[in-house]
Amino acid sequence: MTNKVRDLVCSIVMLVVGVGMFVMARDIPRKIESDVGSGYVPTFIAICIIIVAGAKLILTLISKDPTINKKVPPLGDWFGGIATVLLMLAYMMIFEKVGFIISSIVYLFVQMMLLSNSENRKPVLFAIIAVALPIAVDALFAFAIKMPLPVGLWGF
Amino acid sequence: MIATALANVFNPICLVLIWFGTVLGIIFGSVPGLSATMAVVLFLPLTFNMEPTQGIALLIGLYMGGISGGLISAILLKIPGTPSSISTVFDGGPMAEKGEAGRALGVGILYSFIGSVIGIVALAFVSPLLAKVCLLFGAADYFAVAVFSLTIIAALSGKDMLNGLIAGLIGLALSMIGMAPIDAQVRYTFGNYQLMAGLDITVLLIGVFAVTDIIMAGFGRKTLADKFAKKKYHLKGYGVSMKEFIQQIPNAIISSLIGIGIGILPGIGGSTAGLMAYTAEKSRSKYPEKFGTGIIDGVIASETANNACIGGSLVPLLCMGIPGNTVAAVFLGGLLVHGINPGPLIFDKSGEYVYGIYFALIVASVFMLIFERLGLPIFAKLLDIPKHILLPIIMVMCCVGAYSSASRVFDVQCVLFFALLGLFFKIFKIPSTPLIIGFILGSMFEENLRQALQASHGSWTIFVTRPISLIFLVVAVIFCTVTVRGNLKEKKAAQAKGEDFDTSEEEG
Repeated sequence: MTNKVRDLVCSIVMLVVGVGMFVMARDIPRKIESDVGSGYVPTFIAICIIIVAGAKLILTLISKDPTINKKVPPLGDWFGGIATVLLMLAYMMIFEKVGFIISSIVYLFVQMMLLSNSENRKPVLFAIIAVALPIAVDALFAFAIKMPLPVGLWGF
Repeated sequence: MIATALANVFNPICLVLIWFGTVLGIIFGSVPGLSATMAVVLFLPLTFNMEPTQGIALLIGLYMGGISGGLISAILLKIPGTPSSISTVFDGGPMAEKGEAGRALGVGILYSFIGSVIGIVALAFVSPLLAKVCLLFGAADYFAVAVFSLTIIAALSGKDMLNGLIAGLIGLALSMIGMAPIDAQVRYTFGNYQLMAGLDITVLLIGVFAVTDIIMAGFGRKTLADKFAKKKYHLKGYGVSMKEFIQQIPNAIISSLIGIGIGILPGIGGSTAGLMAYTAEKSRSKYPEKFGTGIIDGVIASETANNACIGGSLVPLLCMGIPGNTVAAVFLGGLLVHGINPGPLIFDKSGEYVYGIYFALIVASVFMLIFERLGLPIFAKLLDIPKHILLPIIMVMCCVGAYSSASRVFDVQCVLFFALLGLFFKIFKIPSTPLIIGFILGSMFEENLRQALQASHGSWTIFVTRPISLIFLVVAVIFCTVTVRGNLKEKKAAQAKGEDFDTSEEEG
């Protein structure tokens, strides 16, 4: 991806957001006669987003900047990044159903394995941390802060 | 009020919380990849069940320690632990290479304390005066202040003003979700009843600032284990003689004043304060050629200014509800959570908490001076904690923090949504700070705009006929023009050299 493509994609996404917000703002009813209504400010903000995103789009298209076609530095290891996002998603999905302790143990262990490399991968240490930390945090919240965390299907 | 505040702060629980916050803040500030913002965000939910003074005291300790802790890695690793310590590297790094790492650390800690205290004194004197002026403000004026803050923040958060504006506007848009002010009309909930109360600031902060960084670590996992050469140090006292201390008094005073001034202006943080103080001291010095070779003057200018910035940033925050920088924005979230509404009436309505903040800041500064020095061997050792263990633990704490804000899993899921929004911003070089400021200022912006338009029967002329409003709007326009011109110049210079013009800058 070049700088130009990056800026064009950003402008188009923001234009879509602005237009979507504008369309939805038109349907917000006005409840008080003397007031401009709850749709007024969202409409104003949506118009501002459209103007700013439009300006960015035009400036990107007409730009003669020699660096505009330069490639954006790669984000890095795509597998690591996407796997981290999916792992977080799975963690948040099972957080309530399975309970804080078990979901956190699984998440911590897998995430540590994912972020480590062959030289510093220590599964036994990771397992000890993954088990000890959620139990300690759960106990802290249950007994000291008096705010129990989700217990899940198995009651812990 | 002052006696109550004193009693609240100087009780054993509160003192322990300030100590705990300061030490943890130093750890977060010193480890590259963690930040003062992350520390305050992570511990904010833990304060929900605390008495307001205690909760705020913990956050103050984290804020103070987080800003100061950055100097440890700036000197020992030549990597600033927080952006505030960028300019500390200029002379702290070369001092460490010359075998004077201990002296640089001692001087940095001592002048962090001095800068903090001068900043707190300024806060105590300036904020009541500013609050009195703010009592004259009407709805139209507050709207103008919100516009002024947004434009300044957008302009200063990145070199590309359009990206800054986009971020600020998205922040404003997110604040529109849920029930509207004045008529309680429900908007943008997409049929989800959990959105009726709007989005939680804590959840937004955790997602954008903490979890986004963990996802980025996933992308950069191959370089996560890279170790940096850590310098050894030896230190007696604070590394500065009485003669040197007296010689450096003008440096400390000028740098503090720069830090306070930069802190008061919305949108500029400790890194700019440090850089400006460093430049000012270099041009004032009789030996400017020695700057960058490892002299204490540079470390003193940087560390005094970035810590003085803390007091300065709290002035507009307490009097107008406008955060001076990212950490202050998070801190504002903390005040609101505890029912303390910043504004000109804060001294009347929540006086005991305001004085509590002053005293807690002083106590945190003293703790920082003592425990950062005493704990240096431990803090230096903590720089070795592997990121692949630390970051997953932080992620779990983020989820716990989000859940505990309202005991609902929906907030935990929102964290991931905001983390992905933060990732989108990082990929597209959009700064995150204006997003947060826009979100925080959203309700102030809308409520005052609607009230002003109600009073003027829908006429926008009210914003140019009231002098205060007009002044803020004119200054906003002037500031935008000057910034855009400056950015265009920089952009052209970068283009001439064939360099990329980086637009993302973050504070914290």
